[in-house]
Amino acid sequence: MLSVEILTVSYATRRVLDHVSLEVNSGEVLALIGPNGAGKSTLVRAVSGVVPVESGYIRIEDLSRHYDLLSLSPMQRARLLAVVPQAASMPPAFTVWETVLMGRTPHLNFLGQVSAKDESIARLALQKVDALDLSERRVGELSGGEQQRVLLARALAQSTPILLLDEPTSNLDLHYQVGFMETVGTLAHHDKLAVLVALHDLNLAAHYADRVALLVGGEITAAGTPQQVLTPELISTAYHLQVQVIQHPFADVPLVLPGNK
Amino acid sequence: MMQQGQDGSRPATMKIHPYLYTLLFLVLAVILSIAIGSVYIPPLDLGRILIGWLDRATFSEPLKTFAFILTGIRLPRTALVLLTGAALGCSGAAYQGLFRNPLADPYLIGVASGAGLGAVLAMSINWPYSFWGLLAAPVAAFIGALLTVFLVYTLARVGKTVPTTNLILAGVAFGSFATAITTFLMLRSTGELHRAIAWLNGGASQAGWEPVLAMLPFLAMGLGILVLSGHALNLMQFGDDQAQQMGLPVTRARTLILLAASLATAAAVSFSGIIGFIGLIVPHVIRLWFGADYRRLLPLSLIGGAGALLLADVIARSMIAPQELPVGIVTALVGAPFFLWVLRRAKNQGYW
Amino acid sequence: MIRKHVIALLIVPLLAACGAAQTSSPTPIPTQPTANTLPSATANPSVTLTDGLNRTVTLTGPAQRVVSLAPANTEILFAIRAGSQVVGRDETSDYPVAALSLPTVGGYSGFNLEAIVALHPDLVLAGGINTPELVASLEHLGLTVYYLPNPTTLEEMYTNLETVAKLTGHETEAAILVDSLKSQVAAVDAKLKPLSFAPTVYYELDATEPTKPFTAGPGSFVDLLIDRAGGINIGAELSSQWAQISLEQLVVINPGVIILGDSAYGETPEKVAARPGWGTLTAVQTGQIFTFDDNLVSRPGPRLVDGLEALAKLLHPDLFK
Repeated sequence: MLSVEILTVSYATRRVLDHVSLEVNSGEVLALIGPNGAGKSTLVRAVSGVVPVESGYIRIEDLSRHYDLLSLSPMQRARLLAVVPQAASMPPAFTVWETVLMGRTPHLNFLGQVSAKDESIARLALQKVDALDLSERRVGELSGGEQQRVLLARALAQSTPILLLDEPTSNLDLHYQVGFMETVGTLAHHDKLAVLVALHDLNLAAHYADRVALLVGGEITAAGTPQQVLTPELISTAYHLQVQVIQHPFADVPLVLPGNK
Repeated sequence: MMQQGQDGSRPATMKIHPYLYTLLFLVLAVILSIAIGSVYIPPLDLGRILIGWLDRATFSEPLKTFAFILTGIRLPRTALVLLTGAALGCSGAAYQGLFRNPLADPYLIGVASGAGLGAVLAMSINWPYSFWGLLAAPVAAFIGALLTVFLVYTLARVGKTVPTTNLILAGVAFGSFATAITTFLMLRSTGELHRAIAWLNGGASQAGWEPVLAMLPFLAMGLGILVLSGHALNLMQFGDDQAQQMGLPVTRARTLILLAASLATAAAVSFSGIIGFIGLIVPHVIRLWFGADYRRLLPLSLIGGAGALLLADVIARSMIAPQELPVGIVTALVGAPFFLWVLRRAKNQGYW
Repeated sequence: MIRKHVIALLIVPLLAACGAAQTSSPTPIPTQPTANTLPSATANPSVTLTDGLNRTVTLTGPAQRVVSLAPANTEILFAIRAGSQVVGRDETSDYPVAALSLPTVGGYSGFNLEAIVALHPDLVLAGGINTPELVASLEHLGLTVYYLPNPTTLEEMYTNLETVAKLTGHETEAAILVDSLKSQVAAVDAKLKPLSFAPTVYYELDATEPTKPFTAGPGSFVDLLIDRAGGINIGAELSSQWAQISLEQLVVINPGVIILGDSAYGETPEKVAARPGWGTLTAVQTGQIFTFDDNLVSRPGPRLVDGLEALAKLLHPDLFK
């Protein structure tokens, strides 16, 4: 379980996150939604330790042990929490296999020597994202969707109880978006990971998240089930836009559509 | 379905061959460097001398002179050039990885300009002709180089992080500043000018084993760390954020690698002068031929740099013998067309 | 890399102009350095001297196999009739002609230690243009090296001649040579006695950038010799031996005579007149521009005296009729 408590982050004098608190339980997907500039990426980066935190706490509970994330070294943190970064920004020259093996870093020494166990974990990670057949390919030769899967496999290779994803689907077409989120859902529901995913697409969030948190101007303005958060009032206020919310014809999820009555 | 072997690794030959090729190239370069000089030593005599050494035989003329040239001049020079090339090649690869910049060379953040300033400053003082007096220039160059790196690093620092862009900008700015002072000093000075030029062109090192022994500990330390930093540099290719999210203490690793590369380069430059191009080109050629994995790239660039500089030195010694060309000219003159050829033929286009 | 080249580009032409120029010299030869005599016999052939680096150099007898590392040294060796004892030279040693047949051992771009060792010299004669590192390297290889310091006066140049004579056993010849050089200087001095007017002289070393050429500053032999030859070196006011002067300043000073020490690089009076902005100079308008063999004044050897005489004739042709 990941819990963020009254987290405040500032860039110079500008406060980007203001007393943000949220919880992600293992076995669930929490979608972080909000307009551009609301602080979604900053939250992911702050939780993963690459942005300095002004005040607040980030705690992780795993196998009934408690960790204070802010007091851990990068290595210790990377054993608890893996990140799938925004868009594909991977060096093109490495092969998929090399890239995924690098996810084992927090469990390796400075030299990065891998054991058979590390390799079988990496292979399993590739299998889970259905990318094992890409192993020998260079990352630069892959499509955007394939690259995103490789990044997910790399995060899985870290063998962490917590998974953070920063707008992982923004460069993917509909087919890849759906496939990718299906995989993410399986990881939470089947493998019992705690998944926090920042998403642009409200309907994708509605479809695949167990819970949704709405971040506006650095503050959480609403959190709960998709039905509770994706209401015309909350979304219209957050995005400064008139929207309609209707029921999905087949699934029990809301659909957000722009436009007046 | 399963493309890699049962253990998941790639076929073993893929990992061994690059070392085999580069080591073979290095051995060939060493042999050439020992065999070729402005004084022609027939291969048969060369063999006799080598066998004679094993027997501890004393030589008569002309073998005596040949043996003396070999031990007194060629072997120490070969060792010096080998170490210098190794330092430049390996540091170049590390800098390119550290800065994620294909244009990075070991001099990017001011080692060369700092060393130059140190050396010229030392030469502006009239040291007595003594062991320490002669050591003044290389020691000052070494201190100048390390001081520059330290200063650039401090200037580039923002809080607890050291952004690479800041490092490059601070390095280039401070480098220009140091070079300006160096040029100014050289224009103002009179007598020692030729000495400074000789030094800057890489032709002022003393003969004998002393320079080799003097630079060896620094190279061993610096290159030792670099060769073991391949995994860290691999991670850094993903950018600072991702590297840290994967568990690398980025700032600490960067500082360590920067320090190691600068130490090796500074020691090499102090005794061999500023030799360009090797540190830029060798890592690229290795990368184009053998891939971008820094765990392999660093040791291969070390071996390749040593071999390449030895070869350049052989050409510098023999092209217009008995005169010698500054080796820096040869590295660019021969290295540039060779590199362009490799670049045109490379299959790994775009994957620098 | 680039930075280094900038320095080299800046400095090299200037240096080359100052010392390493290779020209065929049309000037008269003061001594005939072709014939040679046996070293003069002395009771104790062993020689111990202190060289320009404060090193104590001991020879068991006059050196018989000398490698010269500077053009001035080569000229001195031949001038004191030790030419036949020279077995190697640096690549810029092009005078006298007899020296050209000797093997070279490198030079400006670097010296070749192997070639020097292979010549089995019993004395390596280094000069002011050589680095202490080179001296140390040669010493390290077990060779006897004497570092002949650059003289700053004619007297010191005579001393250098006598030093080299001691090293090679040609004291008698050197004494005769020094006497003749002194009387040559005295003759020039005598001719210049009635001097009433000293022209201002601009001595050009390098004009790659015609708006800020290099000229000879204080402390250089050019400065010394122009003064001795009855001229006023305008570079004497500058602050270094190889000094850059702006065209603006040159126009203000308006020198009476322009001497092209860089004529070896193809500079001619016509080219100078054609340079933009140079036409305003009086010397250009009156044709007081002369080409000159820079080797006569840049190599600190016996030919400096020829340089003095040539300069005096050039500046005061009327007194030498």
